[in-house]
Amino acid sequence: MKLIAFGIIAFTVVMVAVGWFMSGGLKREEVHSAATPEEAVQLVLSEVKARNWDQAYSYLANTADLDEADFVHDLAGTDGSLRTYSSLDSYDVWPLRKQGDEARMRARLRWSTAVGPIDDVRDLKVERHGNLWKVAWPVVKTARVPPQVIPVNYLRWDIINRGAGDDWGEQNVDSPNVRIVSMNAIDRGNEVVIVGEIVNEDTVPAYVNVNAVLQDENKNPIAEEGSFDNIAHTLLPRQVSPYRIDFPGMRLSQVKSVRMDAKALLVPASADPVIAVTNQKLGKDPALGKEVLQGQLVNESGQIVNISQVLAAYYDSSGKVIWVSNGYVDQALLPNTPVNFGVDLPEDIAAKVQSYRVTVNHYNVGQS
Amino acid sequence: MMQNPSQRIVIPSDPACRKQFPLPWVGSEGSGVRRRTTVATIILCTVMMAAISAGAQQLRVPASAIAGAGFAITTFGSGNGTFYLLGPAGAVKKKIQLGSEVQVDESQARSAGRYTAIVCGDSCSSMNFFVSAAAPAKLSFIVHPSRVPVGKADAISAVAFAFDKYRNLVLTPITVDFRVTLKDAPEVARSEETKDGIAWMRLASTKRGGLADVVASLGSNSDKRIVQQVPSDACNLRIHATRKVDKIEVETDPVKDCSGNAVPDGTIVSFTEMDEDGKSTVDAPLKRGIAKVTMPIRGAGTVSVASGVAIGNEIRIGGGS
Amino acid sequence: MRKQACAVLFALLSFAPAFSAGPLPSVVLNADQIGPRAPIEELTGRNIARDYARAWQALEQALEQDREEPLEGNIVGFANDSFARRIAEQRKSGLHVRIVDHGHKLVAGFYAPNGDAMQLHDSAQLEIQTFDGSKMIQQETIPAHYLVLMTPAADRWVVRLLEEVPGTSAEGQ
Repeated sequence: MKLIAFGIIAFTVVMVAVGWFMSGGLKREEVHSAATPEEAVQLVLSEVKARNWDQAYSYLANTADLDEADFVHDLAGTDGSLRTYSSLDSYDVWPLRKQGDEARMRARLRWSTAVGPIDDVRDLKVERHGNLWKVAWPVVKTARVPPQVIPVNYLRWDIINRGAGDDWGEQNVDSPNVRIVSMNAIDRGNEVVIVGEIVNEDTVPAYVNVNAVLQDENKNPIAEEGSFDNIAHTLLPRQVSPYRIDFPGMRLSQVKSVRMDAKALLVPASADPVIAVTNQKLGKDPALGKEVLQGQLVNESGQIVNISQVLAAYYDSSGKVIWVSNGYVDQALLPNTPVNFGVDLPEDIAAKVQSYRVTVNHYNVGQS
Repeated sequence: MMQNPSQRIVIPSDPACRKQFPLPWVGSEGSGVRRRTTVATIILCTVMMAAISAGAQQLRVPASAIAGAGFAITTFGSGNGTFYLLGPAGAVKKKIQLGSEVQVDESQARSAGRYTAIVCGDSCSSMNFFVSAAAPAKLSFIVHPSRVPVGKADAISAVAFAFDKYRNLVLTPITVDFRVTLKDAPEVARSEETKDGIAWMRLASTKRGGLADVVASLGSNSDKRIVQQVPSDACNLRIHATRKVDKIEVETDPVKDCSGNAVPDGTIVSFTEMDEDGKSTVDAPLKRGIAKVTMPIRGAGTVSVASGVAIGNEIRIGGGS
Repeated sequence: MRKQACAVLFALLSFAPAFSAGPLPSVVLNADQIGPRAPIEELTGRNIARDYARAWQALEQALEQDREEPLEGNIVGFANDSFARRIAEQRKSGLHVRIVDHGHKLVAGFYAPNGDAMQLHDSAQLEIQTFDGSKMIQQETIPAHYLVLMTPAADRWVVRLLEEVPGTSAEGQ
């Protein structure tokens, strides 16, 4: 009996040690002081990864200028944003330049989120204080919205469905009419991608989904996929959304025809919030080395938008949709507070882009 | 076959029997053997006829019955028996005294259709009869679709089924009144006669948008459905803008379709602005017929508008304040 | 269109056994006089005949076995309620009914403009045997005439009304 108890205790200790080691505890223990700029950045980020905010903040050079609360909000997120459901999975650090007692380092942070990985690239200033290097974290003030009344009287749609006791003649309201206005099949080498746009032609809100079936010359189905989150699912009347359907592992040469299927359900919805997309620019991002469509989202309503998603449709010179990008913003949208966004697109596609259109989707905590 | 000793034996009246087996004392010739055979056959026919008559006489059912009204079934004979009544929505079995009247309660005859009454004593006999629907009392009313474009011929179909209070389809022709009302528009009324319980009609949607009440009435009972008449796409979509230093306020004119109907509130209007900083877009819903947004602007720029696949005008904004 | 349309006959002869319920009864559908929505779509005609046969198969099975379950999904609404009551009372009394189905001739009459209801007249040849326990108390072969209302469900047409009416030739209507 004593032997079993001792065995259990020993096993527990071993497991705890393994866990500590796997979480980078050994590394943290080794790097408790930074002799180089790279070590300084890694020291801070290792504590951020472990969510030891106090410890991470203590390694900064500019604690006199930067509130700990602002530092934590910058990295941990706030207001129910996507960042609050994320964790730092890994990071890469490399130098940009070093001169005397100052250095510039670039850190690429990879966040693991509920909707997939999100990359965040930061340029960090690192200063030498005595024998140690310390990071001067960018001062980011958490946005505050002053107390005020913002009247919101946008339309809301509620639905009354037939009940169990209703006569059989009392049928539900018809489903919304939606229409696929364009479809383009693109061969990407190792996958086939279907892109296009769908419009809600009705006067009621619709929850839409687009599926596609690739068929061979005998109209036999080869593969079937849906748009998943590459579409704005809730469309208000006359609203247009791009969609993208990916078929990994397929070649366009195998496909003779595509059968599209758009399904629409009548759902309750609100016309609020209205989100403006401002200062849109398409160009190469030097930090990422990719073609990126950037801009700002401005929430023009009075409610916080917890999670927003940007869908961008790109058109060639003939007005055909040639690509659809999809990206999540990991910051919450406070009322009337611009938030930056960026979605990338393949370089070969970017060369053909004549115009583009951005649609914003949003999800709020506590609402379906 | 059982012969009921209380019944009188009668000469078989069945012509087939008489033809095949003529009475021996009516003048036909024959040997003694043939005579005995003939007499035996006559007796057999008589017994058969008696039995058949007895069976047929074991029950008397109503010539016609109405759903929800009780009636009586008369049985004949004597002794103990079992009575069965099978209908579309029920099956009754009870012990009776043959020769008595069986009362069928209204609750056992609410469904229209064929009923089979069976009486079993020493043998069983049955008779069928029909129960027809009671007076019309309810409607099942289907209207399609729930949303129609304005000004479309035969856009709305309305079908009414007439039932009695027990949900039997009323097959006798009756008149159903249809009525369509739309705010600030004259009422449209029509009457149609049912055929096999169904009355239907088709209507054109009006040129005005709005919620139309479609009502079918049967006497004092009526049923209402709502059809939304919706305007078409926005027509002549126009915007105007006012610059305020580094912002512009853009507002549409009242958005209407080509027939002059206001496009419903909530319809999305897309604004696009191009300036020195790039492109800005806002999707804003109509509110009281108008969509309004405020967008940032730096220097000179252009603003355009669209709703669904309808495109509006484009305006140029000069640079500076 | 109706004048130009030929009489459309959809014959559904007895199929191979469906599940454990035996073969489907024979149903022949004549949609020559259908309206106001006309002509009937070919697929709809085939489905109507098939689903009506299934409904009868279900009804016959339910009446013989004194179980309501076969009715589900084939006969709905008030028709389902009525037959369910009949079966429950049969079961309580120890009765059951066997129907030997010799086929149905359906004539489609009213077809709603939106396609969401169809009224049909059925002339059927049925042999009905009624049992009290194991003793047959009644047997007859009758021509039966039904007024039928069918409506589309998710994946089939269902019988919403099955009302027997005194015999008039459905084909003459």
